[in-house]
Amino acid sequence: MSNAPGSPPLLSTAAMAVELTGITKRFGAFIANDGIDLAVRRGEIHAIIGENGAGKTTLMNILFGLLQPDEGSIRLNGEATVVADPAAAIKAGLGMVHQHFKLVPSLSVADNVFLGMEVRRHGLIDHAAQIARTQELSKRFGLHVDATERVGLLSVGIEQRIEILKVLVRGARTIILDEPTAVLTPQESRELFQTLRSFVAEGMTVIFISHHLEEVMEVSDTVTVLRNGRKVATRPTSELNKDELVRMMVGREVSFDRRPRAALHGDIVLDVKDLWARDDRRLPAVRGASFAVRSGEVVGIAGVAGNGQTELAEVLSGLRPASHGAAWLKGQDLTTLSPAAIRQAGLAHVPGDRMVRGVDRNASIAANTLMGRQHRAPWSQNGVLDWKAIAQNAGALIKSFDIRAQGAGDAVKRLSGGNIQKVVLAREFTNGADFLLIDQPTRGVDIGAQEAIHDEIMRQRAAGQAILLISVQLDELAALADRILVMFNGRIMGEVAGDDADEDRIGMMMAGVSQQLEPA
Amino acid sequence: MEILDKLINVALIAATLRTTAPILLVALGGSFTTKAGIFNIGLEGQMLAGAFFAVIGSIWTGSAFAGVACGVAAALAFALAFAVLVVTFRANEVVVGLALNILAGGTTISLMKAIFGTRGSIVGHGIVGLPKVQIPGAQALLGSWAPLISGFTPIVYIAFIAVPLLVLFYKRTQLGLYIRVVGEKPEAAEALGISITRVRYIASLLCGLLAGLAGAHLSLGYITMFTENMSSGRGFMAVAILIFSNGDPLKVLAGCLLFGFADAFSLRLQTFGFPSYLVLTVPYVVALTALFALSYRARPKVIRETLASMQKLLSVDRNSAPVDKNPQ
Amino acid sequence: MSDRLRAFSGQIIAVGVALLLGAIIIILVGESPVHVLMTLLRGAFGDQEKIAGTLLQTTPILICGVAACIGLRGGMFNVGIEGQLFLGGFAAAWVGFTFSLPAGIHTLAALALAVVAGAAWVAIPAFFRARYNTNEVVSTILSNYIAVLLTSYFTIFLFKRPGGWSETPPILATAYLPEIFAFSRLNWGLVIGLLLAVGVALIFRYTSWGYGVTMVGSAPKFAEYGGVDVKRQGFVVLLLSGAVGGLAGGVETLGVHHRFMEGFAPGFGFDGLIAALLANGSPVATIVTALFFGALRSGSLLLEVDTSASREIITVIQALIILSVSAQVLIKRRGDSQAGERRWKF
Repeated sequence: MSNAPGSPPLLSTAAMAVELTGITKRFGAFIANDGIDLAVRRGEIHAIIGENGAGKTTLMNILFGLLQPDEGSIRLNGEATVVADPAAAIKAGLGMVHQHFKLVPSLSVADNVFLGMEVRRHGLIDHAAQIARTQELSKRFGLHVDATERVGLLSVGIEQRIEILKVLVRGARTIILDEPTAVLTPQESRELFQTLRSFVAEGMTVIFISHHLEEVMEVSDTVTVLRNGRKVATRPTSELNKDELVRMMVGREVSFDRRPRAALHGDIVLDVKDLWARDDRRLPAVRGASFAVRSGEVVGIAGVAGNGQTELAEVLSGLRPASHGAAWLKGQDLTTLSPAAIRQAGLAHVPGDRMVRGVDRNASIAANTLMGRQHRAPWSQNGVLDWKAIAQNAGALIKSFDIRAQGAGDAVKRLSGGNIQKVVLAREFTNGADFLLIDQPTRGVDIGAQEAIHDEIMRQRAAGQAILLISVQLDELAALADRILVMFNGRIMGEVAGDDADEDRIGMMMAGVSQQLEPA
Repeated sequence: MEILDKLINVALIAATLRTTAPILLVALGGSFTTKAGIFNIGLEGQMLAGAFFAVIGSIWTGSAFAGVACGVAAALAFALAFAVLVVTFRANEVVVGLALNILAGGTTISLMKAIFGTRGSIVGHGIVGLPKVQIPGAQALLGSWAPLISGFTPIVYIAFIAVPLLVLFYKRTQLGLYIRVVGEKPEAAEALGISITRVRYIASLLCGLLAGLAGAHLSLGYITMFTENMSSGRGFMAVAILIFSNGDPLKVLAGCLLFGFADAFSLRLQTFGFPSYLVLTVPYVVALTALFALSYRARPKVIRETLASMQKLLSVDRNSAPVDKNPQ
Repeated sequence: MSDRLRAFSGQIIAVGVALLLGAIIIILVGESPVHVLMTLLRGAFGDQEKIAGTLLQTTPILICGVAACIGLRGGMFNVGIEGQLFLGGFAAAWVGFTFSLPAGIHTLAALALAVVAGAAWVAIPAFFRARYNTNEVVSTILSNYIAVLLTSYFTIFLFKRPGGWSETPPILATAYLPEIFAFSRLNWGLVIGLLLAVGVALIFRYTSWGYGVTMVGSAPKFAEYGGVDVKRQGFVVLLLSGAVGGLAGGVETLGVHHRFMEGFAPGFGFDGLIAALLANGSPVATIVTALFFGALRSGSLLLEVDTSASREIITVIQALIILSVSAQVLIKRRGDSQAGERRWKF
């Protein structure tokens, strides 16, 4: 590294810190970025806003050299640059704070900050110097941390400060933050904004990815909105209001191709009362969710990924213990039952991570359709499997669910994503369950298969099943759901009737600004 | 009391240090791979190869130290094979480790038969054992306690000096730091451009180095002979120690002293007429008991962590979390 | 280079390296690889007695291999089969020389206790694996050493045959597993092994329980999601694996040695594990790999007589084969980064 840590790299007089021109990036047939132009002025906080899948992260990964664009060019500080890898980006004065932190829990804060560029004296690491330097930087930018503390003992908010310090110590002058507030409490977010302003005050530049409208309005100087891989607009924040921003983000062309339906709501099948659960880090991920699902009803759960939906689904299917509250399925409290007993009680579950939870990729379609019913006739008798019946049944499912495969003996891993999902649906929808828990049914599924999956869900609704549909895709919920609950940070923020699903309001609640509009 | 005096005395402590040395060395070797995130069940085989080739080298050259070098080289060859298969080819660590152990057993016996025409053991043939280092002034300084610091072979001293050196290595050197990072959070290493492959190779070879020394100590230390499978499970005990010490040098030392003591004590018991077969099980029973007891004890930690995270949460989040219905 | 081509060339290289290394080691010990191979073949299949001898060696490897398969199927490495074999062998001998029972019933009682002994010996490691996730590889390996010493202690200090050399009294003839041919000690144990291999394969394939266990081994998260009690099945699978390991010891005692002695049946447990690994965990395929290893063992007896090489050269060959297979199976994954996920994953 040519620069001493923290010292400004070759100062240039160019007005633009970053200029991206015509950036296009394709992943197979999917176009993640489509001819995006982006200009970031030196010394500003530039927010990039858009829905999930709008192409924000891809664009930033291209800027930071993690991905190479298929088309387009990059100028940094006025100079045309090929950012071949992150090392080149760092050398050019860029720094990126990722969504997922890469810190080593057993090491101290200072060790983590200097990892890969240790200060050494006589060949040994000079911990004292590293600690002093870390403390100096943390004081200068208001990033309060104890440099000697072990990272494993610290909260997520402090971990983020360490990631920022890592970037600073490598001499970054332009700092990219990917969804920095997603993991922060409101107080921590406010402190982060203070820090970002102090960067700008020192002449640095900040690029800030977010889908949280309020904070974008609060902290940024300029906003660029992306939608479906294209740039919608770049505008000074002062000229914008929230409504305009939401409209640009969600767009008017979202297909609200609402499925026709007859109202046939019956009795309450699932009744969730003040349910709490922890995530893998043992922090609360579901915070007091209460709702009910009736038979013949599709209840949608909207929300940005990672706001507790996964944990909610896992609690309802018995894969994660609840820490408080209850979920009654036809009179039985699911939080006290094993996964097998919950299935017995009448649950069918289409899991969100279908490759890990939903199938054994190496097994045949027939073997995959057997899971959960291997103890029941006609699939088995007295504990002995009837593979002929299983294969016949699987063959029938392949036909009725239009699974594109050679036959029931095909290994699931040979199928496309959409057809693998159809295998899961075929198994779960023919289980005779009263309650269907469906998590991200069309994630990574091609358009044709999406239609078929939506048809199938509506067929189940018509058959009188109670359905809880979790999805990050708003249009999917608007098309299918009778009611939409919006989840943010583990809470149900509010409810919208499917018939008058208002994307502005849902978008607001997804971004955590619901309270004023409609208290939960 | 008299019996106790006979059982526990200076000679027993000195014997404990002697019997601790090989398992300490091999466990410290395994510390490198453990810290680098590799489950190395192949320590046993590396140690056995080290013991055999140390004897061969000693006979060929007439020098104990050249013998040690030969033993280390053989163990390094096994460690390299392990690294190639596990790190480069990403083969299953357990399968490769076990297969290399079997390979070491088969190779040493086959070569013994080929070179010496015998089975069972190699005795005599001009094996030169390691000299014992007499520390000048030890007798004057400590009197009857002198055997505690003087009169060991060099490898015993190396084993015990290696402990603080390893502590320093993990704390203060770049390589030591990188080994820990690669084992604990490979994504972090990768993001910072640290080559995981290279670090794991280095860790594997450092492991082979110490395992080879441990083997050489077995065959050239206090007895100068090689017998079939003479490592007799010490490599596996080392793995047990590594599991519950997580490769921390000081905890490794504590665990190894426990086994060294169990070993020395059981040998002592044998002289008191306890059935040798039962006495010989003592180190293995100690290893297993420690493994089970410590994995059981690891449970309260989860509860403590939960409580800590709740406290943290309460202080950060104004909306207080409810009390766990079923804390675990 | 396409993935398939790379995998294929990797396979060729792996097998080539294994054979080359084997040949080099044979040359190093001063023998001709061709001569060693011919001697092995003659020793294993030279005449009907040799073939029966091969089958006699195959029997314990096969049963131990099936034991390993049961564990592997549920994702468990039972490396303690050797110890379960020793305890099962001793338990069967004890029933054989202590009680007098009618023929047939005596054999069954002895085998039953062998099974119980094997299962009991693995119960503690299995419990800690299922409940506290204690590494079963290390705990079962360490318990092997205790099992061998413990059975030696029983034999020499508690049940030594008067005037004999570190062995128990012979078992009563009522407890024998009958021999199949007059010219060999080959006995019905082989039939037990074959039936067991086929039976276990059928259980895994055709029962609801076997389906659940298979899923626990191959896709544990999927099994958990589908309502299979993953921890419980892990425990059960290790217990059954230990039971079959004990059975292997009982068969060896009742069919071959007719007593228990020190150093009884060494290495069969490990051979069985390797045979199972080579068969990729399939009990039926283990019949073939066990026969292969049985032939190697049987042939190695002649090797010791006719050449200067030691019979352990075959364990070298076995190890090299396993290493080459482990490398070539995984060569396909080389594109993955060492962090366990693709570099710069999105």
